[in-house]
Amino acid sequence: MTLVFLLVVGALTRPIETPAWERVKSRQPELNLAGLEGAMGQGVLVGMLGGFRAVIADFLWIQTNSVWERRERAKLDSMVRLVTSIDPRPVFFWINSARMLAYDVPNWRIREEGGYFAVPEKRQKAIDSEQAEQAFALIDKALEFHPDNPKLYLEIGQIYLNRLKDPANAAPWFLRASEQPGAPYFAARIYAELLRRQGKNSEAYNFLKGLFQRLPDDDPYAQKGIILERIRELEVTLQVPADERFAPYRNNLLNLAI
Amino acid sequence: MNGLGFRQIWLIASNTFLEAVRQKFFNSLLFIAIALIASSTFFQQFDFGTGELKFIADFGFGALFFFGSILAITVTTQLFFNEIENRTALTMLAKPVHKFSFLLGKLLGVQLLMLAFVLLLCLLLAGILYWRESELLSRMDPELFSDGRLLRYSDILLFGFLQWLKFGLLSAITLFVASFSNTNIYTIIVSFSILVVCQLQYIARDAYADMEQGVGRFFVQGIGLIFPNFQLFNVGDQLLFAQNEALPATNLLQITLYACVYIAAFATLAQLSFRRREI
Repeated sequence: MTLVFLLVVGALTRPIETPAWERVKSRQPELNLAGLEGAMGQGVLVGMLGGFRAVIADFLWIQTNSVWERRERAKLDSMVRLVTSIDPRPVFFWINSARMLAYDVPNWRIREEGGYFAVPEKRQKAIDSEQAEQAFALIDKALEFHPDNPKLYLEIGQIYLNRLKDPANAAPWFLRASEQPGAPYFAARIYAELLRRQGKNSEAYNFLKGLFQRLPDDDPYAQKGIILERIRELEVTLQVPADERFAPYRNNLLNLAI
Repeated sequence: MNGLGFRQIWLIASNTFLEAVRQKFFNSLLFIAIALIASSTFFQQFDFGTGELKFIADFGFGALFFFGSILAITVTTQLFFNEIENRTALTMLAKPVHKFSFLLGKLLGVQLLMLAFVLLLCLLLAGILYWRESELLSRMDPELFSDGRLLRYSDILLFGFLQWLKFGLLSAITLFVASFSNTNIYTIIVSFSILVVCQLQYIARDAYADMEQGVGRFFVQGIGLIFPNFQLFNVGDQLLFAQNEALPATNLLQITLYACVYIAAFATLAQLSFRRREI
């Protein structure tokens, strides 16, 4: 009888609840349910009930660092997932977790298998790739929560570049990072540099010319001087005729002459 | 409800409130909650990546919900069973006091207590946030902020109001459980279990939303209808900061109405169950 009564109340209140819930839910940071497996038994449930998510995630992050110091690989993996599941809002958790998985864990695994001198290079590369894939999966998840954050795109690019030594795959990520709002200026410069390293000099030249024109003149962090320097170097490499060379200030000079 | 009934309810409520305020449990819990919120600036040292004001706000809202839930369940249970165990309920109900008036009086008394609790914590949180915000603003360029502040302080009261409604609902549920249970501890455990289900039922609803028709889906839909969705009141993440869009009045009204309907429903259930109870 009680259940039937509550079912009726539930059905009657649904039209009131649905629009309000849709609004509230659309603005709540979602929980990563898959990552919460096994978390319930760790006393997290009580904290998750309220706004203590941030605090519990912070303390679990400190615990994650202890696990990282002890080099407990399996536990690190579960802790990283747990922290980012409980509070996916700070980008700090995602980036540092990805770094642990992509840079530190491969070193531990190689050492466990006998060290850098004993493990064949092919095997080392396989381990690096496996760990990088885990880090990429984590950052992909992070992008669901922070789709416009340039730091996450940069992190993928840096893992490709610094750990996997793969500038070809790194370049597009630096480009994507440079296209996000609030992206650091260096992302675009690194993209151009990676094009140059791959021998794509004309592509790098055209990109840098466009970049130079888009960047502000009054911001020293834009480093327009360095970009112009790179453009000149590429003009020499590409043997661009003097009259076709990039002259961003030509119009200004013409105006002055007139 | 006639005038006499309302007077009876008000008398029971005011006595319940006074009795609850004198309880050591309430005072110690209030003290812990105040100490925790006041020390939020210390805990901020352990924060990674969220802004200082956001951290303090989350911490304060968390303390409000956490201690408020414990208080709502425990105080309702204690006050109800005190009347039964001390036989004061018997004396009271021997007079022309309806059992429903008794239950409503208890509920209202607990709500008054929760109002005092929520107001105190909200004011403390607002004070701490104002202090930290002023400190931060003094180090920044004031021209960056057109209206001069980073936070919308009225949202703290709004959040407090929604939590107060939730505590009211929780008290009504606890009262319903108490109306048929024989012991304090049973009531507290069952009420906490219901709180967890109400708080997390949306996860099951979301997870099974795309499920094909079947027993599982039918079961989850039933759970979603039987237990109120407490996550609806969890709007702390989206309030407070001036850059966030304010909660529309329509949604606020819907949530308030939702809570009121459920409070009335559980109070009715408590009355139906308590009516048959031998004291």
